[in-house]
Amino acid sequence: MSTNVVDRRRVNGPARSVEPLYTSADTAESFVNGREDKRTLDQVRPIFMKTGPLSAQESELSLSATASAASGSAFYEQGKIRISCAVYGPRQGRKSNARMGSFDCDFRYAPFSCSWKRRSHIKAADEKEISLMLEHAIAPAIRVEAYPKACIDAFVTVIESDGRAATIAAAINCISAALADAGIEMYDSVAACSMGLRGSQWVADCTQSEEDVSSCSVLIAFMPSADEITYILQHGKSTPEQTDQAVQTCTNLCTRVYAVICRYLQSSLV
Amino acid sequence: MASLTLSPAEQDYITRGIEKGFRGDGRAGLDRREVTLRTNMISQANGSARCRTGYLGIGTDVLVGIKAEVCSWKPGEPEDKGTIVCNVECSPSAAQEFEGRGAEELNVELTQLLDRILNGPQSGIDLAKLCIIPKQDYWVLHVDALVLDVKGSIIDTLVWATRAALLSSKRPKVVVESIKDEDGNVHSEFDVVDDAEDQVALEGAENLPLTVTFNQIGKRYVVDASEQEEAVTQARLTVAVSPQTEICAVQKSGLMRGFPPSLLSEILQTARRIAREEFSRFNDLFTAANSTSAADEPSTGSTFLGTF
Repeated sequence: MSTNVVDRRRVNGPARSVEPLYTSADTAESFVNGREDKRTLDQVRPIFMKTGPLSAQESELSLSATASAASGSAFYEQGKIRISCAVYGPRQGRKSNARMGSFDCDFRYAPFSCSWKRRSHIKAADEKEISLMLEHAIAPAIRVEAYPKACIDAFVTVIESDGRAATIAAAINCISAALADAGIEMYDSVAACSMGLRGSQWVADCTQSEEDVSSCSVLIAFMPSADEITYILQHGKSTPEQTDQAVQTCTNLCTRVYAVICRYLQSSLV
Repeated sequence: MASLTLSPAEQDYITRGIEKGFRGDGRAGLDRREVTLRTNMISQANGSARCRTGYLGIGTDVLVGIKAEVCSWKPGEPEDKGTIVCNVECSPSAAQEFEGRGAEELNVELTQLLDRILNGPQSGIDLAKLCIIPKQDYWVLHVDALVLDVKGSIIDTLVWATRAALLSSKRPKVVVESIKDEDGNVHSEFDVVDDAEDQVALEGAENLPLTVTFNQIGKRYVVDASEQEEAVTQARLTVAVSPQTEICAVQKSGLMRGFPPSLLSEILQTARRIAREEFSRFNDLFTAANSTSAADEPSTGSTFLGTF
Protein backbone atom coordinates (compact mmCIF):
# COMPACT_ATOMS: atom_id res chain seq x y z
CA MET A 1 0.00 0.00 0.00
CA SER A 2 1.35 3.40 -0.89
CA THR A 3 2.31 5.60 2.01
CA ASN A 4 2.21 8.66 -0.21
CA VAL A 5 -1.58 8.83 -0.29
CA VAL A 6 -2.60 11.96 1.55
CA ASP A 7 -5.84 11.68 3.50
CA ARG A 8 -7.45 15.07 3.07
CA ARG A 9 -10.70 14.32 4.81
CA ARG A 10 -9.34 13.95 8.29
CA VAL A 11 -7.04 15.83 10.59
CA ASN A 12 -3.90 13.79 10.22
CA GLY A 13 -1.17 12.95 12.64
CA PRO A 14 2.49 13.46 11.77
CA ALA A 15 3.42 12.52 8.22
CA ARG A 16 5.74 9.79 9.36
CA SER A 17 5.32 7.81 12.51
CA VAL A 18 6.21 4.22 13.33
CA GLU A 19 5.19 1.80 15.99
CA PRO A 20 7.71 1.33 18.79
CA LEU A 21 10.06 -1.61 18.50
CA TYR A 22 10.80 -3.87 21.40
CA THR A 23 14.52 -4.54 21.29
CA SER A 24 14.74 -7.29 23.85
CA ALA A 25 13.70 -10.60 22.35
CA ASP A 26 12.39 -11.98 25.61
CA THR A 27 9.12 -13.17 24.11
CA ALA A 28 8.33 -16.59 25.46
CA GLU A 29 8.13 -19.43 22.95
CA SER A 30 4.46 -19.94 22.28
CA PHE A 31 4.34 -23.69 22.77
CA VAL A 32 7.04 -24.30 25.34
CA ASN A 33 4.75 -25.58 28.08
CA GLY A 34 1.64 -26.33 26.11
CA ARG A 35 -0.39 -23.40 24.85
CA GLU A 36 -0.22 -20.05 26.60
CA ASP A 37 -3.89 -20.05 27.53
CA LYS A 38 -3.76 -23.71 28.61
CA ARG A 39 -6.09 -24.93 25.87
CA THR A 40 -5.69 -28.36 24.35
CA LEU A 41 -4.56 -28.62 20.75
CA ASP A 42 -8.08 -29.08 19.43
CA GLN A 43 -9.85 -26.58 21.62
CA VAL A 44 -11.40 -23.41 20.26
CA ARG A 45 -11.35 -20.24 22.34
CA PRO A 46 -14.48 -19.56 24.42
CA ILE A 47 -17.17 -17.79 22.43
CA PHE A 48 -19.50 -15.05 23.56
CA MET A 49 -22.12 -13.62 21.29
CA LYS A 50 -24.90 -11.09 21.49
CA THR A 51 -27.35 -10.21 18.77
CA GLY A 52 -29.21 -6.97 18.59
CA PRO A 53 -27.77 -3.46 18.85
CA LEU A 54 -24.79 -3.02 21.15
CA SER A 55 -26.51 -0.28 23.11
CA ALA A 56 -29.54 -2.40 24.03
CA GLN A 57 -30.41 -1.94 27.67
CA GLU A 58 -32.03 -4.76 29.57
CA SER A 59 -34.63 -3.37 31.91
CA GLU A 60 -38.22 -4.07 32.95
CA LEU A 61 -39.38 -0.91 31.25
CA SER A 62 -37.91 -1.32 27.83
CA LEU A 63 -39.99 -3.41 25.50
CA SER A 64 -37.21 -4.23 23.14
CA ALA A 65 -33.77 -3.10 22.24
CA THR A 66 -33.40 0.52 21.19
CA ALA A 67 -34.36 0.93 17.58
CA SER A 68 -31.41 0.55 15.36
CA ALA A 69 -31.16 1.38 11.69
CA ALA A 70 -29.74 -2.04 10.95
CA SER A 71 -32.04 -4.96 10.18
CA GLY A 72 -29.89 -7.19 12.30
CA SER A 73 -26.65 -6.99 14.17
CA ALA A 74 -24.36 -9.10 16.25
CA PHE A 75 -21.39 -8.69 18.52
CA TYR A 76 -19.04 -11.64 18.68
CA GLU A 77 -16.14 -12.44 20.97
CA GLN A 78 -13.76 -15.36 20.74
CA GLY A 79 -10.93 -15.08 23.21
CA LYS A 80 -9.48 -11.65 22.53
CA ILE A 81 -11.12 -11.31 19.13
CA ARG A 82 -13.99 -8.83 19.12
CA ILE A 83 -16.08 -8.25 16.05
CA SER A 84 -19.26 -6.37 15.40
CA CYS A 85 -21.47 -6.83 12.38
CA ALA A 86 -24.51 -5.00 11.07
CA VAL A 87 -26.79 -6.38 8.36
CA TYR A 88 -28.93 -4.14 6.22
CA GLY A 89 -31.55 -5.73 4.05
CA PRO A 90 -33.27 -6.97 2.16
CA ARG A 91 -33.38 -3.58 0.53
CA GLN A 92 -33.48 -2.30 -3.00
CA GLY A 93 -30.74 -3.80 -5.08
CA ARG A 94 -28.54 -2.17 -7.66
CA LYS A 95 -29.85 -4.19 -10.58
CA SER A 96 -33.54 -3.89 -11.06
CA ASN A 97 -33.78 -6.96 -13.24
CA ALA A 98 -31.96 -9.43 -11.02
CA ARG A 99 -33.75 -12.73 -10.56
CA MET A 100 -31.89 -13.40 -7.37
CA GLY A 101 -30.81 -11.26 -4.47
CA SER A 102 -27.20 -10.28 -3.98
CA PHE A 103 -25.15 -10.47 -0.84
CA ASP A 104 -22.40 -7.92 -0.26
CA CYS A 105 -19.97 -7.80 2.53
CA ASP A 106 -17.80 -4.97 3.75
CA PHE A 107 -14.96 -5.92 6.04
CA ARG A 108 -12.67 -3.56 7.83
CA TYR A 109 -10.23 -3.51 10.68
CA ALA A 110 -10.54 -0.67 13.16
CA PRO A 111 -7.24 1.25 13.14
CA PHE A 112 -6.43 0.10 16.67
CA SER A 113 -7.44 -3.52 16.22
CA CYS A 114 -4.27 -5.23 15.05
CA SER A 115 -1.23 -6.01 17.12
CA TRP A 116 1.22 -5.59 14.32
CA LYS A 117 0.60 -2.08 13.06
CA ARG A 118 -1.89 0.75 13.17
CA ARG A 119 -4.19 0.35 10.21
CA SER A 120 -5.01 3.21 7.93
CA HIS A 121 -8.56 4.47 7.44
CA ILE A 122 -8.16 3.76 3.78
CA LYS A 123 -9.10 0.22 2.86
CA ALA A 124 -6.11 -1.95 2.19
CA ALA A 125 -6.00 -4.76 -0.37
CA ASP A 126 -6.25 -7.47 2.27
CA GLU A 127 -9.43 -5.97 3.71
CA LYS A 128 -10.93 -5.92 0.22
CA GLU A 129 -9.93 -9.52 -0.31
CA ILE A 130 -11.36 -10.61 3.03
CA SER A 131 -14.64 -8.93 2.06
CA LEU A 132 -14.74 -11.17 -1.01
CA MET A 133 -13.81 -14.20 1.07
CA LEU A 134 -16.68 -13.55 3.45
CA GLU A 135 -19.08 -13.20 0.53
CA HIS A 136 -17.96 -16.52 -0.92
CA ALA A 137 -18.28 -18.17 2.48
CA ILE A 138 -21.74 -16.93 3.39
CA ALA A 139 -23.61 -16.42 0.10
CA PRO A 140 -24.18 -20.18 -0.45
CA ALA A 141 -26.18 -20.26 2.80
CA ILE A 142 -28.60 -17.48 1.91
CA ARG A 143 -31.78 -18.20 0.03
CA VAL A 144 -31.12 -15.55 -2.57
CA GLU A 145 -33.93 -16.77 -4.78
CA ALA A 146 -36.34 -15.51 -2.10
CA TYR A 147 -35.08 -11.93 -2.55
CA PRO A 148 -35.23 -10.98 -6.23
CA LYS A 149 -34.11 -7.45 -7.06
CA ALA A 150 -32.96 -7.00 -3.46
CA CYS A 151 -29.58 -6.83 -1.85
CA ILE A 152 -28.40 -7.80 1.59
CA ASP A 153 -25.40 -5.90 2.95
CA ALA A 154 -23.26 -6.95 5.86
CA PHE A 155 -20.80 -4.52 7.43
CA VAL A 156 -18.16 -6.09 9.61
CA THR A 157 -15.84 -4.13 11.87
CA VAL A 158 -13.04 -5.87 13.70
CA ILE A 159 -12.67 -4.12 17.01
CA GLU A 160 -9.87 -6.33 18.19
CA SER A 161 -8.00 -8.99 16.27
CA ASP A 162 -5.91 -11.93 17.48
CA GLY A 163 -4.70 -14.19 14.71
CA ARG A 164 -5.41 -13.41 11.06
CA ALA A 165 -7.14 -16.66 10.11
CA ALA A 166 -9.00 -16.84 13.42
CA THR A 167 -10.32 -13.31 12.94
CA ILE A 168 -11.72 -14.17 9.52
CA ALA A 169 -13.36 -17.29 10.98
CA ALA A 170 -14.84 -15.19 13.77
CA ALA A 171 -16.12 -12.68 11.22
CA ILE A 172 -17.95 -15.47 9.38
CA ASN A 173 -19.59 -16.62 12.61
CA CYS A 174 -20.53 -13.06 13.47
CA ILE A 175 -22.16 -12.47 10.10
CA SER A 176 -24.15 -15.72 10.42
CA ALA A 177 -25.51 -14.52 13.73
CA ALA A 178 -26.32 -11.06 12.40
CA LEU A 179 -28.12 -12.52 9.37
CA ALA A 180 -30.20 -14.70 11.67
CA ASP A 181 -30.96 -11.66 13.79
CA ALA A 182 -32.10 -9.81 10.68
CA GLY A 183 -34.45 -12.64 9.80
CA ILE A 184 -32.83 -13.36 6.43
CA GLU A 185 -33.90 -16.73 5.08
CA MET A 186 -30.99 -19.13 5.07
CA TYR A 187 -30.45 -22.82 4.43
CA ASP A 188 -28.26 -23.07 7.48
CA SER A 189 -25.94 -21.01 9.63
CA VAL A 190 -22.33 -21.00 8.53
CA ALA A 191 -19.79 -21.80 11.22
CA ALA A 192 -16.09 -21.30 10.64
CA CYS A 193 -12.90 -22.33 12.33
CA SER A 194 -9.20 -22.09 11.63
CA MET A 195 -6.14 -24.21 12.37
CA GLY A 196 -2.40 -23.64 12.29
CA LEU A 197 0.32 -26.14 11.51
CA ARG A 198 3.20 -26.21 13.92
CA GLY A 199 5.80 -28.75 12.90
CA SER A 200 3.55 -31.65 12.00
CA GLN A 201 0.86 -30.92 14.54
CA TRP A 202 -2.36 -29.06 13.74
CA VAL A 203 -3.39 -26.58 16.41
CA ALA A 204 -6.94 -25.29 16.55
CA ASP A 205 -7.79 -21.59 16.61
CA CYS A 206 -4.35 -20.00 16.81
CA THR A 207 -3.77 -16.68 18.51
CA GLN A 208 -1.49 -14.16 16.82
CA SER A 209 1.62 -15.31 18.67
CA GLU A 210 0.83 -18.95 17.83
CA GLU A 211 0.16 -18.05 14.19
CA ASP A 212 3.52 -16.29 13.94
CA VAL A 213 5.31 -19.57 14.64
CA SER A 214 3.12 -21.79 12.51
CA SER A 215 4.05 -22.67 8.94
CA CYS A 216 0.60 -23.07 7.49
CA SER A 217 -2.95 -22.05 8.32
CA VAL A 218 -6.24 -23.51 7.16
CA LEU A 219 -9.59 -21.77 7.43
CA ILE A 220 -12.82 -23.66 6.85
CA ALA A 221 -16.44 -22.48 6.81
CA PHE A 222 -19.00 -25.26 7.09
CA MET A 223 -22.76 -25.71 7.01
CA PRO A 224 -23.41 -28.76 9.21
CA SER A 225 -27.03 -29.42 8.23
CA ALA A 226 -26.26 -29.22 4.54
CA ASP A 227 -22.89 -30.97 5.01
CA GLU A 228 -21.18 -28.49 2.74
CA ILE A 229 -17.88 -26.71 3.12
CA THR A 230 -18.68 -23.24 1.87
CA TYR A 231 -15.15 -21.91 2.13
CA ILE A 232 -11.64 -23.24 2.45
CA LEU A 233 -8.43 -21.27 2.47
CA GLN A 234 -4.98 -22.68 2.96
CA HIS A 235 -2.10 -20.30 3.39
CA GLY A 236 1.30 -21.99 3.52
CA LYS A 237 2.65 -25.37 2.61
CA SER A 238 1.65 -28.79 3.87
CA THR A 239 1.63 -32.35 2.62
CA PRO A 240 -1.64 -33.57 1.09
CA GLU A 241 -2.19 -35.90 4.06
CA GLN A 242 -1.82 -32.99 6.44
CA THR A 243 -4.30 -30.94 4.43
CA ASP A 244 -6.77 -33.83 4.51
CA GLN A 245 -6.34 -34.18 8.23
CA ALA A 246 -6.85 -30.45 8.74
CA VAL A 247 -10.03 -30.48 6.65
CA GLN A 248 -11.49 -33.31 8.72
CA THR A 249 -10.53 -31.91 12.11
CA CYS A 250 -11.55 -28.37 11.23
CA THR A 251 -14.92 -29.53 9.93
CA ASN A 252 -15.58 -31.24 13.27
CA LEU A 253 -14.59 -28.08 15.12
CA CYS A 254 -16.95 -26.07 12.92
CA THR A 255 -19.78 -28.35 14.02
CA ARG A 256 -18.95 -27.56 17.65
CA VAL A 257 -18.84 -23.82 16.96
CA TYR A 258 -22.15 -24.16 15.12
CA ALA A 259 -23.73 -25.68 18.24
CA VAL A 260 -22.56 -22.70 20.29
CA ILE A 261 -23.94 -20.19 17.78
CA CYS A 262 -27.30 -21.99 17.68
CA ARG A 263 -27.51 -21.97 21.48
CA TYR A 264 -26.88 -18.25 21.61
CA LEU A 265 -29.43 -17.57 18.88
CA GLN A 266 -32.04 -19.67 20.68
CA SER A 267 -31.44 -17.93 23.99
CA SER A 268 -31.77 -14.54 22.31
CA LEU A 269 -35.34 -15.42 21.38
CA VAL A 270 -36.35 -16.08 24.96
CA MET B 1 -14.75 -13.34 -12.96
CA ALA B 2 -15.87 -11.83 -16.22
CA SER B 3 -18.62 -14.06 -17.40
CA LEU B 4 -20.95 -14.50 -20.30
CA THR B 5 -24.67 -14.25 -19.99
CA LEU B 6 -26.08 -17.56 -21.06
CA SER B 7 -29.70 -18.45 -21.59
CA PRO B 8 -31.15 -21.04 -19.23
CA ALA B 9 -31.31 -23.50 -22.14
CA GLU B 10 -27.60 -23.09 -22.85
CA GLN B 11 -26.76 -23.43 -19.18
CA ASP B 12 -28.79 -26.61 -18.96
CA TYR B 13 -27.15 -27.95 -22.13
CA ILE B 14 -23.63 -27.40 -20.79
CA THR B 15 -24.43 -28.71 -17.31
CA ARG B 16 -26.06 -31.90 -18.53
CA GLY B 17 -23.35 -32.45 -21.08
CA ILE B 18 -20.67 -32.28 -18.42
CA GLU B 19 -22.62 -34.58 -16.13
CA LYS B 20 -22.51 -37.11 -18.93
CA GLY B 21 -18.83 -36.45 -19.53
CA PHE B 22 -19.06 -34.27 -22.65
CA ARG B 23 -17.45 -30.87 -22.81
CA GLY B 24 -18.08 -28.26 -25.49
CA ASP B 25 -14.72 -28.69 -27.17
CA GLY B 26 -14.50 -32.46 -26.78
CA ARG B 27 -11.98 -32.48 -23.94
CA ALA B 28 -12.02 -34.87 -21.05
CA GLY B 29 -12.89 -33.47 -17.63
CA LEU B 30 -9.30 -33.09 -16.49
CA ASP B 31 -7.76 -31.95 -19.77
CA ARG B 32 -6.27 -28.54 -20.19
CA ARG B 33 -6.55 -26.64 -23.46
CA GLU B 34 -3.57 -25.91 -25.66
CA VAL B 35 -1.00 -23.81 -23.79
CA THR B 36 1.46 -21.51 -25.50
CA LEU B 37 4.38 -20.15 -23.52
CA ARG B 38 6.97 -17.58 -24.45
CA THR B 39 9.69 -16.16 -22.23
CA ASN B 40 12.19 -13.30 -22.20
CA MET B 41 10.55 -11.12 -24.77
CA ILE B 42 10.63 -7.92 -22.74
CA SER B 43 14.23 -6.80 -22.79
CA GLN B 44 13.76 -4.07 -20.18
CA ALA B 45 12.50 -6.48 -17.58
CA ASN B 46 14.61 -8.84 -15.51
CA GLY B 47 12.32 -11.67 -16.55
CA SER B 48 9.15 -12.01 -18.53
CA ALA B 49 6.76 -14.59 -19.81
CA ARG B 50 3.54 -14.74 -21.72
CA CYS B 51 1.16 -17.63 -21.46
CA ARG B 52 -1.98 -18.32 -23.43
CA THR B 53 -4.48 -21.09 -22.76
CA GLY B 54 -6.77 -21.75 -25.67
CA TYR B 55 -7.10 -22.96 -29.22
CA LEU B 56 -6.30 -21.28 -32.52
CA GLY B 57 -4.58 -18.28 -31.03
CA ILE B 58 -7.56 -17.21 -28.94
CA GLY B 59 -7.63 -17.79 -25.24
CA THR B 60 -6.81 -16.48 -21.82
CA ASP B 61 -3.66 -14.45 -22.24
CA VAL B 62 -1.46 -13.29 -19.38
CA LEU B 63 1.79 -11.36 -19.60
CA VAL B 64 4.08 -11.24 -16.57
CA GLY B 65 7.11 -9.00 -16.14
CA ILE B 66 9.65 -9.18 -13.35
CA LYS B 67 11.63 -6.16 -12.19
CA ALA B 68 14.30 -6.38 -9.53
CA GLU B 69 14.92 -3.34 -7.39
CA VAL B 70 17.09 -2.66 -4.39
CA CYS B 71 15.32 -1.55 -1.27
CA SER B 72 16.61 -0.12 2.01
CA TRP B 73 15.83 -2.00 5.15
CA LYS B 74 13.57 -0.36 7.71
CA PRO B 75 13.31 -1.41 11.37
CA GLY B 76 10.59 -3.99 11.79
CA GLU B 77 11.21 -5.77 8.48
CA PRO B 78 12.87 -9.19 8.35
CA GLU B 79 16.60 -8.66 8.66
CA ASP B 80 18.02 -11.17 6.23
CA LYS B 81 15.46 -11.70 3.54
CA GLY B 82 14.37 -10.11 0.31
CA THR B 83 10.76 -9.88 -0.69
CA ILE B 84 8.43 -10.36 -3.63
CA VAL B 85 5.73 -7.81 -4.40
CA CYS B 86 2.91 -8.87 -6.71
CA ASN B 87 0.47 -6.87 -8.72
CA VAL B 88 -2.09 -8.19 -11.14
CA GLU B 89 -4.03 -5.95 -13.46
CA CYS B 90 -6.75 -6.91 -15.85
CA SER B 91 -6.49 -4.82 -18.96
CA PRO B 92 -9.68 -3.31 -20.38
CA SER B 93 -8.76 -4.99 -23.65
CA ALA B 94 -9.82 -8.27 -22.09
CA ALA B 95 -13.42 -7.37 -21.38
CA GLN B 96 -15.54 -4.28 -21.53
CA GLU B 97 -16.45 -4.49 -17.86
CA PHE B 98 -12.77 -4.09 -16.97
CA GLU B 99 -12.61 -0.47 -17.98
CA GLY B 100 -12.22 2.16 -15.29
CA ARG B 101 -12.58 0.56 -11.88
CA GLY B 102 -14.58 -2.40 -13.11
CA ALA B 103 -11.73 -4.84 -12.66
CA GLU B 104 -10.79 -3.63 -9.18
CA GLU B 105 -12.28 -6.59 -7.31
CA LEU B 106 -10.79 -9.11 -9.67
CA ASN B 107 -7.39 -7.40 -9.51
CA VAL B 108 -7.41 -7.53 -5.72
CA GLU B 109 -8.46 -11.17 -5.69
CA LEU B 110 -5.77 -12.27 -8.15
CA THR B 111 -3.06 -10.13 -6.54
CA GLN B 112 -3.74 -11.52 -3.08
CA LEU B 113 -3.85 -15.08 -4.40
CA LEU B 114 -0.50 -14.66 -6.13
CA ASP B 115 0.93 -13.01 -3.05
CA ARG B 116 -0.23 -15.92 -0.91
CA ILE B 117 1.50 -18.38 -3.19
CA LEU B 118 4.74 -16.46 -3.70
CA ASN B 119 5.52 -14.79 -0.40
CA GLY B 120 6.69 -17.26 2.13
CA PRO B 121 8.35 -20.65 2.34
CA GLN B 122 5.55 -22.26 0.33
CA SER B 123 6.87 -20.71 -2.86
CA GLY B 124 10.14 -22.56 -2.57
CA ILE B 125 12.09 -19.43 -3.47
CA ASP B 126 15.13 -18.79 -1.32
CA LEU B 127 14.33 -15.32 -0.03
CA ALA B 128 17.52 -15.27 2.04
CA LYS B 129 19.53 -15.17 -1.18
CA LEU B 130 17.72 -11.97 -2.10
CA CYS B 131 19.28 -10.22 0.87
CA ILE B 132 22.28 -8.06 -0.09
CA ILE B 133 23.46 -6.68 3.24
CA PRO B 134 21.51 -7.79 6.33
CA LYS B 135 19.68 -4.94 8.06
CA GLN B 136 20.65 -2.64 5.25
CA ASP B 137 19.73 -3.54 1.67
CA TYR B 138 17.79 -6.27 -0.05
CA TRP B 139 16.34 -7.12 -3.45
CA VAL B 140 12.65 -6.61 -4.09
CA LEU B 141 11.26 -8.60 -6.99
CA HIS B 142 8.25 -6.90 -8.49
CA VAL B 143 5.99 -9.39 -10.22
CA ASP B 144 3.61 -7.44 -12.44
CA ALA B 145 1.02 -9.39 -14.34
CA LEU B 146 -1.17 -8.03 -17.08
CA VAL B 147 -4.21 -10.02 -18.13
CA LEU B 148 -4.67 -9.33 -21.80
CA ASP B 149 -7.55 -11.61 -22.63
CA VAL B 150 -9.99 -13.65 -20.65
CA LYS B 151 -11.50 -16.85 -22.02
CA GLY B 152 -11.87 -18.80 -18.82
CA SER B 153 -9.34 -20.09 -16.31
CA ILE B 154 -7.42 -16.92 -15.47
CA ILE B 155 -5.78 -18.21 -12.30
CA ASP B 156 -4.02 -21.19 -13.85
CA THR B 157 -2.74 -19.17 -16.80
CA LEU B 158 -1.58 -16.43 -14.46
CA VAL B 159 0.37 -18.84 -12.28
CA TRP B 160 1.88 -20.65 -15.29
CA ALA B 161 3.08 -17.32 -16.69
CA THR B 162 4.41 -16.21 -13.31
CA ARG B 163 6.33 -19.44 -12.83
CA ALA B 164 7.83 -19.17 -16.30
CA ALA B 165 8.78 -15.54 -15.72
CA LEU B 166 10.42 -16.22 -12.36
CA LEU B 167 12.25 -19.28 -13.69
CA SER B 168 13.72 -17.26 -16.54
CA SER B 169 14.43 -14.13 -14.50
CA LYS B 170 17.96 -12.92 -13.95
CA ARG B 171 19.20 -10.15 -11.73
CA PRO B 172 22.61 -8.41 -11.73
CA LYS B 173 25.38 -9.67 -9.54
CA VAL B 174 26.20 -7.70 -6.45
CA VAL B 175 29.62 -7.19 -4.88
CA VAL B 176 29.65 -6.42 -1.16
CA GLU B 177 32.68 -4.83 0.44
CA SER B 178 33.45 -3.71 3.95
CA ILE B 179 34.69 -0.19 4.30
CA LYS B 180 36.45 1.26 7.28
CA ASP B 181 35.89 4.95 7.72
CA GLU B 182 37.96 7.53 9.66
CA ASP B 183 36.46 6.69 13.06
CA GLY B 184 37.34 3.05 12.68
CA ASN B 185 33.75 1.95 12.13
CA VAL B 186 33.27 -0.84 9.65
CA HIS B 187 30.25 -0.73 7.44
CA SER B 188 29.29 -2.58 4.30
CA GLU B 189 28.55 -1.21 0.90
CA PHE B 190 27.56 -2.94 -2.25
CA ASP B 191 28.06 -2.38 -5.94
CA VAL B 192 25.92 -3.72 -8.71
CA VAL B 193 27.95 -5.38 -11.44
CA ASP B 194 26.96 -3.90 -14.77
CA ASP B 195 27.45 -6.97 -16.90
CA ALA B 196 24.50 -8.18 -18.91
CA GLU B 197 26.09 -11.58 -19.50
CA ASP B 198 26.96 -12.28 -15.87
CA GLN B 199 23.67 -12.38 -14.06
CA VAL B 200 22.16 -14.47 -11.30
CA ALA B 201 19.09 -16.65 -11.72
CA LEU B 202 16.47 -16.82 -9.02
CA GLU B 203 17.42 -19.49 -6.51
CA GLY B 204 14.67 -21.95 -5.73
CA ALA B 205 12.44 -20.93 -8.62
CA GLU B 206 12.20 -24.55 -9.75
CA ASN B 207 10.24 -25.24 -6.54
CA LEU B 208 7.48 -22.82 -7.48
CA PRO B 209 4.02 -24.36 -7.44
CA LEU B 210 1.47 -24.55 -10.23
CA THR B 211 -2.23 -24.19 -9.65
CA VAL B 212 -5.06 -26.39 -10.84
CA THR B 213 -8.52 -24.90 -10.73
CA PHE B 214 -11.47 -27.26 -10.42
CA ASN B 215 -14.88 -25.96 -11.41
CA GLN B 216 -17.90 -27.72 -10.04
CA ILE B 217 -20.69 -27.96 -12.56
CA GLY B 218 -23.68 -30.02 -11.54
CA LYS B 219 -22.33 -33.11 -9.85
CA ARG B 220 -19.01 -33.24 -11.71
CA TYR B 221 -15.95 -31.06 -11.75
CA VAL B 222 -13.74 -30.00 -14.63
CA VAL B 223 -10.28 -28.54 -14.96
CA ASP B 224 -9.52 -25.47 -17.06
CA ALA B 225 -13.06 -24.27 -17.67
CA SER B 226 -13.79 -22.36 -20.84
CA GLU B 227 -15.78 -19.14 -20.70
CA GLN B 228 -19.10 -20.94 -21.17
CA GLU B 229 -18.27 -23.51 -18.52
CA GLU B 230 -17.30 -20.79 -16.06
CA ALA B 231 -20.67 -19.15 -16.56
CA VAL B 232 -22.40 -22.27 -15.23
CA THR B 233 -19.83 -23.00 -12.53
CA GLN B 234 -21.36 -23.15 -9.09
CA ALA B 235 -18.20 -23.37 -7.05
CA ARG B 236 -14.50 -23.28 -7.83
CA LEU B 237 -11.50 -24.66 -5.96
CA THR B 238 -7.96 -23.59 -6.74
CA VAL B 239 -5.21 -25.87 -5.47
CA ALA B 240 -1.53 -24.92 -5.73
CA VAL B 241 0.77 -27.95 -5.87
CA SER B 242 4.56 -27.87 -5.67
CA PRO B 243 6.81 -30.12 -7.79
CA GLN B 244 7.22 -32.24 -4.65
CA THR B 245 3.39 -32.66 -4.59
CA GLU B 246 2.95 -30.60 -1.47
CA ILE B 247 -0.16 -28.45 -1.22
CA CYS B 248 0.93 -24.81 -1.20
CA ALA B 249 -2.42 -23.06 -1.25
CA VAL B 250 -6.09 -23.90 -1.41
CA GLN B 251 -8.82 -21.39 -2.09
CA LYS B 252 -12.47 -21.80 -2.81
CA SER B 253 -14.55 -19.24 -4.62
CA GLY B 254 -18.09 -19.20 -5.86
CA LEU B 255 -21.20 -17.68 -4.44
CA MET B 256 -23.71 -20.36 -5.18
CA ARG B 257 -22.71 -23.41 -3.24
CA GLY B 258 -20.02 -25.17 -1.26
CA PHE B 259 -18.35 -28.58 -1.50
CA PRO B 260 -19.29 -31.64 0.54
CA PRO B 261 -16.21 -32.72 2.54
CA SER B 262 -15.91 -35.97 0.59
CA LEU B 263 -15.79 -34.11 -2.72
CA LEU B 264 -13.18 -31.77 -1.30
CA SER B 265 -10.92 -34.70 -0.38
CA GLU B 266 -11.43 -36.21 -3.82
CA ILE B 267 -10.48 -32.95 -5.52
CA LEU B 268 -7.32 -32.60 -3.41
CA GLN B 269 -6.29 -36.14 -4.37
CA THR B 270 -6.98 -35.47 -8.05
CA ALA B 271 -4.89 -32.31 -7.84
CA ARG B 272 -1.98 -34.34 -6.54
CA ARG B 273 -2.43 -36.94 -9.23
CA ILE B 274 -2.51 -34.64 -12.24
CA ALA B 275 0.17 -32.32 -10.83
CA ARG B 276 2.91 -34.52 -12.18
CA GLU B 277 1.59 -34.34 -15.74
CA GLU B 278 1.05 -30.61 -15.42
CA PHE B 279 4.64 -30.06 -14.35
CA SER B 280 6.10 -32.19 -17.11
CA ARG B 281 3.94 -30.36 -19.65
CA PHE B 282 5.07 -27.02 -18.24
CA ASN B 283 8.71 -28.04 -18.33
CA ASP B 284 8.46 -29.16 -21.97
CA LEU B 285 6.88 -25.86 -22.98
CA PHE B 286 9.36 -23.87 -20.93
CA THR B 287 12.38 -25.62 -22.42
CA ALA B 288 10.98 -25.08 -25.90
CA ALA B 289 10.36 -21.40 -25.15
CA ASN B 290 13.87 -20.87 -23.85
CA SER B 291 15.56 -22.70 -26.67
CA THR B 292 14.43 -20.12 -29.22
CA SER B 293 17.50 -17.96 -28.99
CA ALA B 294 17.58 -14.26 -29.80
CA ALA B 295 19.64 -14.83 -32.92
CA ASP B 296 16.81 -16.68 -34.62
CA GLU B 297 14.31 -13.91 -34.03
CA PRO B 298 13.69 -11.41 -36.80
CA SER B 299 14.46 -7.93 -35.57
CA THR B 300 11.09 -6.52 -36.51
CA GLY B 301 8.30 -5.59 -34.14
CA SER B 302 6.38 -8.70 -35.01
CA THR B 303 8.61 -10.70 -32.66
CA PHE B 304 6.26 -10.10 -29.81
CA LEU B 305 3.29 -11.44 -31.65
CA GLY B 306 5.46 -13.59 -33.89
CA THR B 307 4.78 -17.26 -33.61
CA PHE B 308 2.75 -16.84 -30.46
